[in-house]
Amino acid sequence: MTTIDTPVSIAEVDPDLIATMREVLSSSAPTPRDPDTGVEFDQALWDQLDELGLARLTGSEESGGSGAGWAESAALLTQAASLAVALPLAEHDLLAGWLLTSAGLPVDADLRSVAVLDADGSARAVPWAPVVSRIVLAWPAGDGGWRVADVPATSVKLTADTNLAGEPRGEITATLDDSEGVPVPEDLIRRLQLRAALVRAVQVAGALERTLDLVTEHVTTRVQFGRPIGKFQAVQHLVADIAAETSLARAAVDAAVRTVATPDVDLAELRFRVAVARSCAGHAASVVVRNSHQALGAIGTTLEHDLHRFTLPALAWRAEYGSTASWDRVVADSALSVGSDGLWELIAG
Amino acid sequence: MTSLLPPPVADTPELRTLRRDVRTFVAGQVAAGAFTPDVDTWLNGFDPAFSRALAEQGWLGMTIPTEYGGHGRTFLERFVVTEELLAAGAPVAAHWIADRQAAPSLLKFGTEEQKQRFLPRITRGELFWAIGMSEPDSGSDLASVRTRAVQVDGGWRLTGTKVWTSGAHHAHAFFALARSAPLDPAHRHDGLSQFIVMLDSPGVEIRPIHSMNGAHHFNEVHFEDVFVPDDLVMGEIGQGWHQVTSELSYERSGPERFLSSYQLLAALVDAPSTGADQQIGQYVARTAALHEMSNSVASALEHHHDVSSAAAVVKVLGTALEGDVADLGDVLTEDDPGDPQLRALVTRAVMHRPGFTLRGGTSEVLRGVIARELGLR
Repeated sequence: MTTIDTPVSIAEVDPDLIATMREVLSSSAPTPRDPDTGVEFDQALWDQLDELGLARLTGSEESGGSGAGWAESAALLTQAASLAVALPLAEHDLLAGWLLTSAGLPVDADLRSVAVLDADGSARAVPWAPVVSRIVLAWPAGDGGWRVADVPATSVKLTADTNLAGEPRGEITATLDDSEGVPVPEDLIRRLQLRAALVRAVQVAGALERTLDLVTEHVTTRVQFGRPIGKFQAVQHLVADIAAETSLARAAVDAAVRTVATPDVDLAELRFRVAVARSCAGHAASVVVRNSHQALGAIGTTLEHDLHRFTLPALAWRAEYGSTASWDRVVADSALSVGSDGLWELIAG
Repeated sequence: MTSLLPPPVADTPELRTLRRDVRTFVAGQVAAGAFTPDVDTWLNGFDPAFSRALAEQGWLGMTIPTEYGGHGRTFLERFVVTEELLAAGAPVAAHWIADRQAAPSLLKFGTEEQKQRFLPRITRGELFWAIGMSEPDSGSDLASVRTRAVQVDGGWRLTGTKVWTSGAHHAHAFFALARSAPLDPAHRHDGLSQFIVMLDSPGVEIRPIHSMNGAHHFNEVHFEDVFVPDDLVMGEIGQGWHQVTSELSYERSGPERFLSSYQLLAALVDAPSTGADQQIGQYVARTAALHEMSNSVASALEHHHDVSSAAAVVKVLGTALEGDVADLGDVLTEDDPGDPQLRALVTRAVMHRPGFTLRGGTSEVLRGVIARELGLR
């Protein structure tokens, strides 16, 4: 029997490592958000994470990474989401770093994001584009293939923006020259898009779990009519549904992380598991955001209260790399393509 | 952060092989015309011949130790087999309660003699079981049962009425929860005991309760001074509450809590351009996630962890999904959808749907279980 040392789910990640992640992230949590200008990049925290090997967790050790896997990285993203720390952790490592390595290009510690451009050289909502020093571009080449290039952020035209949670985003336009890119198979780009979509589902699950904690704490301490409001059955049912939907999102996300961590996993299988995770996490966010605000009352709608640090990112993240509806349709397409006879095998393996 | 879920698990290669074996067998049975896949077959698909066919494959009494005629397999192996059978819409009602509930309870609380007497026949698919908990005035509030057990020479005499007893008209034996000591309002759960009642005993009357579609699976089981010998007392006198509640996670987290209308969902996938791709996709996704959850709870149960709140989560979400699938089928199809088989599935699912979120603990009671775990009550 083979011994598998690499954890395939967050639950298997070394608790000491998670404690370290939590300790470091907590020191600068939550990332302040100005309602007008959004969040700022926390360079000091980033440098600290970089020093500890947490900024490039999944990069190979030869390239200065930590040689860890998806499970550790998902644990880090979950901790960051649950502490309301906004940083381009996934973009830098799981996306840009992975794409460079996969394309045979060198990686270093420069802060990076990633963008899949259309044929005109544009991409919208590129995460952290206004902040990073380099962007790994992928674009459809004139010959029908794909190209990848690692360019300075200053070399693209940028219109800065933020998402609903105030995280830096940007529309970029690059001048494409197929000869300047490394050819990569289309399969790699599809996998990149699925990895990006899964990253957001991981983050949503972390935000929803923390929301449950905030709600539980509030309803067990807030007293009205002479008792904690959590004693009222109507409130208990709001909270129970938050817990249930959060659990469903967690189960779907864990399954997708396990799939993406499987070497040479089939693209159709990966697409289905990621779509399931995005569908479940996306719909869970509807229930959790609605019920948590209902349970918290007016204070939960204020800038002063922490609730928005989790509900706004949950809504922002579920809308990135495809809407929840679009992921529902991907699940449906996967189901339709195998038909009723193949559906159960698609679900249960 | 709070997580009610046990850690995720993936099928081992052995479990994957077992899944394939069950799938192949079931496909063969369908091809041979042994059954037509249907919805809600664990309550309504009564087919003793199919149960015996499963027994011949070694798929009944799987977790019963070999010394009691069982197969000594793991709880996860049983999980895989039952999940495959339910996904296939196979008729498993005849043996369902005996295999799911009676066997584990007998193993945990039964006497050596009871185990030797009942377990081999359960494994062979020859002995069907029913459970009597609810009463006319006792539904979600089980501690209020009024069926009386009075001690007499050599045993007990039971008088009272049980309702909603699925399959009692087909079953041979029955667990009856009865009050063996007067109600103490300060300790309502005390004084309850479980008895094994052979349903051909004198004084047992079984009357049908017809469902709104005319189907007969519920019964009212009336006991008039029914004698139960001492050797059919289940577990300890006075421990009935503990005994019936200690096993609830098994029945609440299983695949029957999210697959009851799966055959309809599959049929909707095949139905030509319903225009509801997004909704179908959402429900397929939830089915896939519930499969993961139910599997992880099964694994935790195998390791004897307390997963009562996780089981409640599976049941709340899964049975709501079962009902939503029934309703989606109804919303998408017309009185004449051009496919009588699809319409028949929709009709049965709609008829059965109200029961999904009632049986085995209502969703409202289960939300209370979840809230208690979170410290709200």
